[in-house]
Amino acid sequence: MHRDVSTPNRVLLALTLVAVAAWLLLPLASLAPNRIVPGTPLHAHEAFGWAGALAALPGLFGLAALAWRPSARRLWLALALAMLLLMGLPAWLALAAALTIDPSQPQARMGLGAAFWLLLFCLALMVIELRSRLALGAVAGWLLGALVLAAWWLATPWLEPLALWREYQGRSDQFAGAVVDHLLLVGGAVGTSLVLGTGIALAMRRHTGVERIGFTVLNFLQTIPSLALFGLLLAPLAWLSANVGWVHALGIRGIGWAPAFLALLGYSLLPMVRNTFVALSGVDPGVLESARGMGMSRGQVFWQVRLPLALPVVLEGVRITTVQAIGLTAVAALIGAGGLGTFIFQGLGQAAMDLVLLGALPILAMALAADSLLGALTRRLDPRLASGASA
Amino acid sequence: MIELIEVTKRFGRETAVDAISLRIERGELCALVGTSGCGKSTTLRMINRLIEHSEGEVHLEGRQVREFDEQVLRRRIGYVIQSTGLFPHWTVARNIGLVPRLLKWPRAKVEARVEELMTLLGLPQEQFAGKYPHQLSGGQAQRVGVARALAADPDILLMDEPFGALDPITRESLQLELRDLQSRLHKTIVFVTHDMDEALALADRLVVMRAGRIVQQGTPLELLRDPVDDFVASLLGGNDRGLKETTLLRVGERMQPLSPRLLPQARVHRDATLRQALAVMFREHADRLAVVDDDDMAVGELSLRRLVGARRDE
Repeated sequence: MHRDVSTPNRVLLALTLVAVAAWLLLPLASLAPNRIVPGTPLHAHEAFGWAGALAALPGLFGLAALAWRPSARRLWLALALAMLLLMGLPAWLALAAALTIDPSQPQARMGLGAAFWLLLFCLALMVIELRSRLALGAVAGWLLGALVLAAWWLATPWLEPLALWREYQGRSDQFAGAVVDHLLLVGGAVGTSLVLGTGIALAMRRHTGVERIGFTVLNFLQTIPSLALFGLLLAPLAWLSANVGWVHALGIRGIGWAPAFLALLGYSLLPMVRNTFVALSGVDPGVLESARGMGMSRGQVFWQVRLPLALPVVLEGVRITTVQAIGLTAVAALIGAGGLGTFIFQGLGQAAMDLVLLGALPILAMALAADSLLGALTRRLDPRLASGASA
Repeated sequence: MIELIEVTKRFGRETAVDAISLRIERGELCALVGTSGCGKSTTLRMINRLIEHSEGEVHLEGRQVREFDEQVLRRRIGYVIQSTGLFPHWTVARNIGLVPRLLKWPRAKVEARVEELMTLLGLPQEQFAGKYPHQLSGGQAQRVGVARALAADPDILLMDEPFGALDPITRESLQLELRDLQSRLHKTIVFVTHDMDEALALADRLVVMRAGRIVQQGTPLELLRDPVDDFVASLLGGNDRGLKETTLLRVGERMQPLSPRLLPQARVHRDATLRQALAVMFREHADRLAVVDDDDMAVGELSLRRLVGARRDE
């Protein structure tokens, strides 16, 4: 499905236009003498002078030129160019910091501006567009992402004044712990809900009564706001912890990981049960009948036919649940469950937006990574992907 | 040999099959026909116990089917359904090898059998073995379905509207193949269909069902010539019945020796059906045809009067 070679790639052209406008018109960063004072915006032309700001444009115009009459070779060149620009993005910040921040002010810090975010967004979209035009697989996509992250990581020594980096350095020990806590909570809740959810879905398939009650309860759970659910769990768990020895010994308290885990589990169960149930019920009855008719035992029908055919839809449920749990776990920080949400709420409390970002960006990255990994796994498991199920 | 004795099936209060008795001889292709919901599919499934009968006895080779272990019974009986029921996550070769693997045949034997069946059903190994069902056309998928049913060389084949979802041309060619296959393999086949032409073309014996009961059974010709009531007559095509009969009879059965009269121009093969002969007459505006053999040599002649079965020709 390659487009006619002679038609310009409109997506790339439009994105280039937005990127150029952002670079020239919007602040690239903001400068503040210390953590408390709000920053003043810094445009590219203020940092580098108009000559310097315009000198940065040929790269973007190069992309537009390559997109004008795209051929496979030009698209490859465009991909290389977009990747270079994306990987080099922090270099502009480093340069701006070196040019504008007085070395005698060790507290001075640089925030990220609208132009930076827009450039990041446009360039990332260009890479995605080029990846799909060039029909590169999921592995290539991850490689490109890893390449960008590696380049940025290498640039960190020159990004000393960047507020985000400062916040990270102040909390580098906590950061690793928060990421692990976050992943443990998400992994625990999703893993448990997968086991439990499969059990519930199987019970629902056997008894219609269980099906009705189960979905009613799970739907109800889903409608409770997350903060309220954390609050609701507080009292009973505190009581259990105070009165039942082994509950206390397990480390369960009214606040902390226990209520967070239970609430996450509650929210995860509905999408998990629903998808598993639909997946198991949605297997073509003709296929199941012929499996029985060929003389397969109940167990053989389930393990060799029903489950493998249901698996892509079950995994879809795992994907939805995981992405949802990654986001919800951020809120769990409010009741002392730890995780990356801690930084978000600390940052909100201190009006330090860069600290909020330190919590929010890794959550975003986790959600995207989980989504693409599980999505790729689902596609791998489904041999009918290309043309869908035959009628 | 399959025998049903006073077999009844009830679903709740509904009686789907009502005390039917039926005997299907070894090597016979028996078609169960009737309108939707007449109990023909239910009857078929009671033979391999996908549905358990409520009353009466179902016998297979002299033993009650209930005495068999369900799975052992089904592995001995081939089963083909309209939607093919192929496993979409398995390749064609793996699908065909299902029952032999369930029977724990050695690997090499399974592979050899799969290859043999693919050849038998006109599915070249190198082209189809690795394909998935969704990559096949309807006709190819149903061929794989038949190959899978034949895999463990069962004596009995149950077919539930196997060609019902195919276009007319594919359906006809698969019917021909099945007839050809049956003339070589001599399986005992129970075939459910609501397509009367299909039943007439394939069956040694027709069993007409209505509301869970058997209304009439017999050879296609017996039913066409002597339907027991209006229902059977209309099921068989009403006034079209005569035309349907012409598809069952061969020119060779009605032709006469060559007469001294001038041989007609229009000709028809000895093995053609009377229907084809009629078509030639209609097209050529002729009431006499020369009957020829494989070498296009005249071996007899056929007049319209003989064709329609009048005793004497003048």
